Amino acid sequence: MNLITTSKPYNSFEVAQAQFDEVASLLDLDEATRTLLRNALREYTFSIPVRMDDGRVKVFRGFRVQHNDARGPCKGGIRFHPQETIDTVRALAMWMTWKCAVVDIPLGGAKGGVVCDPHNLSAREQEQICRGWVRQVARDVGPFTDVPAPDVMTNAQHMLWMLDEFETLQGGRHPGFITGKPVGMGGSQGRAEATGFGVVFTLREALRDLGLEAEATRASVQGFGNVAQHAIRLYQQLGGTVTCVSSWDQAEQMAFAFRRESGVDLDRLLEIADRFGGIDKEEARKQGYDVIPGEAWLEERVHILIPAALENQINAENAGLIDPSVRLIAEGANGPTSPDADRVLKERGIYVIPDFLANAGGVTCSYFEQVQSNMNYFWEKDEVLAKLDVKMTSAFAAVSELAKKRRLPMREAAYVIAVSRVAQACRDRGWV
Amino acid sequence: MGVATPLARFERRFRGSRERSTVIGSGELGGKAEGLLAGRDILAGLDVARFAPLVVEIPALTVLATSTFDAFLARNRLGELVEGSASERSVAEAFQRAELPAEVVGDLLDLIRHIKTPLAVRSSSLLEDALRHPFAGIYETKMIPNNQPEAESRFRRLTEAVKFVYASTFLPRARAYLRAVGREPQEEKMAVVLQEIVGDRHGPRFYPDVSGVARSWNFYAFGGAEPRDGAVSLALGLGKTIVDGGRSWTYSPGRPQVAPPHGSPSELLDRAQTDFWAVNMGKAPAYDPTAETEYLVKAGLAEAEADGSLAHVASTYVAQDDAIVPGIARGGTRLVDFAPLLKRNAVPLNETVAAVLGACADATGSDVEIEFALSLPSGGDLAPRFALLQVRPMAVSRRPVEIADGEKASPRVLVASDRVMGNGAVEGLQDLVFVTPSSFEPRHTRAIAVELETLNRDLVGEKRPYVLIGFGRWGSSDPWLGIPVDWAQVSGARVIVEACLSGFAVEMSQGAHFFHNLIAEGVPYFSAGPAEGESVRWDRILALPVHREGRFLRHARCPGGFVVKVDGRRGEGVILAPDETS
Repeated sequence: MNLITTSKPYNSFEVAQAQFDEVASLLDLDEATRTLLRNALREYTFSIPVRMDDGRVKVFRGFRVQHNDARGPCKGGIRFHPQETIDTVRALAMWMTWKCAVVDIPLGGAKGGVVCDPHNLSAREQEQICRGWVRQVARDVGPFTDVPAPDVMTNAQHMLWMLDEFETLQGGRHPGFITGKPVGMGGSQGRAEATGFGVVFTLREALRDLGLEAEATRASVQGFGNVAQHAIRLYQQLGGTVTCVSSWDQAEQMAFAFRRESGVDLDRLLEIADRFGGIDKEEARKQGYDVIPGEAWLEERVHILIPAALENQINAENAGLIDPSVRLIAEGANGPTSPDADRVLKERGIYVIPDFLANAGGVTCSYFEQVQSNMNYFWEKDEVLAKLDVKMTSAFAAVSELAKKRRLPMREAAYVIAVSRVAQACRDRGWV
Repeated sequence: MGVATPLARFERRFRGSRERSTVIGSGELGGKAEGLLAGRDILAGLDVARFAPLVVEIPALTVLATSTFDAFLARNRLGELVEGSASERSVAEAFQRAELPAEVVGDLLDLIRHIKTPLAVRSSSLLEDALRHPFAGIYETKMIPNNQPEAESRFRRLTEAVKFVYASTFLPRARAYLRAVGREPQEEKMAVVLQEIVGDRHGPRFYPDVSGVARSWNFYAFGGAEPRDGAVSLALGLGKTIVDGGRSWTYSPGRPQVAPPHGSPSELLDRAQTDFWAVNMGKAPAYDPTAETEYLVKAGLAEAEADGSLAHVASTYVAQDDAIVPGIARGGTRLVDFAPLLKRNAVPLNETVAAVLGACADATGSDVEIEFALSLPSGGDLAPRFALLQVRPMAVSRRPVEIADGEKASPRVLVASDRVMGNGAVEGLQDLVFVTPSSFEPRHTRAIAVELETLNRDLVGEKRPYVLIGFGRWGSSDPWLGIPVDWAQVSGARVIVEACLSGFAVEMSQGAHFFHNLIAEGVPYFSAGPAEGESVRWDRILALPVHREGRFLRHARCPGGFVVKVDGRRGEGVILAPDETS
């Protein structure tokens, strides 16, 4: 299946629609359903005037796109990014719909954003943007309508400002309005681990499908941020060995990979990493790591590759460099594999756990936070991680079974499940 | 214990195989789990169909292997806590706050989603298996009703119970016990067995009709039974009654119809079980995940009669005839003597016990102790079930010991008795701890237990095994009949004497699990009552050099060493003072 067009300039919404069109054909969806699902149900674009610290008033552009809420309230992050566009937000909202559907949580998809660069904004200015964003959409979001979350360049502090503004406008306390709150302020235990652990829960199941024992496998990981760190931790706890990890060097503005045949020591690496996951090269050498070019992570002689950094990292140019020993790729990042590379992987028989299944642990835990907040009753970490494991494993099993039954690649099987669930919900509601 | 067939891995996605015994995690399975697996293999080789209508089986189980315990301790940094001198309560609470490893919680949640009947969460210790020592009663088992409608609630109770069992590895009594057998707590690893509880629900209670412990060798045979016939202790309800040394019914499988050696029917009634343990299926109890009995409830015979379970296990004392009539058809005081099963053979219980016991002893090549439960559902299509719950080796010395007539009359004799459990000679003990006769009153037995626990801990720490002498039934659950210690509180004792005192004469303790510890440790147990042939020479004991004196206890130390001899064939024994003190 060719999930992407190669038209230029790159437009992520067109890509998302093309992906959907392919799946719609596979499912033989009727015209009305196709039209409904290839576009958002609702889109909000608005202006956010903010008085800056120097006394001037600056107007920021804000968005909220609610792609589909047939299966439940919308869910999706809010991005602060200078290159944000409505089409990016539309695409991400659609992908959120599919991600929620594939892990079978009763939520729809949404995404929001503000065109801004937080690096150039004071905390007070960022707070004003957050509060302004909420004031513009307060009537159209809420615990049972649309639940925002942190995303690119937004964090728990931004969520608390937004929550406070929402509660001020509504009167009362509505902790279920937003997720990504700090633990103790309505956040969920296990949120930090959720995405990385979710990747490994699906990885564990894929290894079983392949007849491999985790203890007998080696892995190479791209990225050393939150997702990668937690994925490495759980994979090692299952007995696997990570021999290579790459990270971004802020000073040199390039990535380096850190390789040690005996396996990386996660805790010691964390001691020499900055808060963005950048690893100190000199200290790493002292710990016995070979410091090699960042792209070399892909060429390691391992069984498993875990891209957990950025999109488009495995592409037509480098897919051929993947070592023949690689049996499995677990996509921790969003969109790390280009469609061209996907074809190469398919030809080589490499098992791919698609991004919107592998990294769905984050949104699943956000859903858990939403549930806990709405009940105002909070679960222990054991319980959160147990539910996460069961949810991810069930989702994986459904995709894996369909893939085997219909002889589909895992990515297509995941899309088929997700789109058919949403389409069915729309039909059940009598929309189409 | 022989090597059992390996366990299948717990598998969420492929349930079709319907494995009844599975494992989560890697590492060791521990003594209890290994015993159960050996039992599974033994039953597979036994023609169990001949016990029909009884279905003979091992209840479904899943073992949480020791890798989970290791990860739990390491990731929650509990090592420092358990190596320090933290109190029992603070250890238990710290374990409850800690998190189970992420790689197993999903399996546990999935497991509990598919099981809605009561579960026993049982300790399965590595050292128990490695040392062939009985650790029963040292580590905890927690029973959970597992009947909450929401899987999440059941999951929480399950994880609390697992953490409770883990914490029991490091409680003071467990540490004292390990040191008494020459091991450090850090060497211990704990697996956990999650096992279906066999029984039936009766309103707010869930329990088996019969629980039992059977041993293949018995040095305290009575009523013409042979030691090689072994001994069986039975109780109504959960086996906790027997494990805790409560009132149970003991008989020989060779002579199942012979009652324990109590003088009269009324005395039999006095010694028989009057209450029983069950899992509380009713109103949620006070929340306390650090309590073993959180979900247990004690009930009386009237409740058992109303439940319909008493009819299977009781007789009736007819006062005007001073006679005991099997069954409960007539009005009168109920006696839990299992007559409908042992005399009327309503189901072939004794035949099954004897066969399973013999098969286990043959398979392991040693004397064994087994635990079992019997469920006799009334009505419906459910078949009666005999569930084998535990198989473990007994360490029994059969080396003959001769006690010359002259030795019993020697001026060195401190204690002599014709009612001694155990067999063999013990030499080199330099310490003797005894309850001073002048300080003893039945109302002080709990305080004596506390004082003894401290003294025992000190002596264990000093690696000084000792002779212990006290009044009444050691380990009695009734503080008016003896000193209510559990085994860990006397774990350093290598010889135990229960004596009588003027106005305080009681029968020898029959606490089954306590009994097993005595035998397994080779601890002779003297009963020195007022009968002929039984004597405690207090004049000589009180003249021994005093090392320490407490409110109730005196600790004497004699470098020359005491000599203890027990002739198990004749049930005779003597404790002799060192030469220099005679």
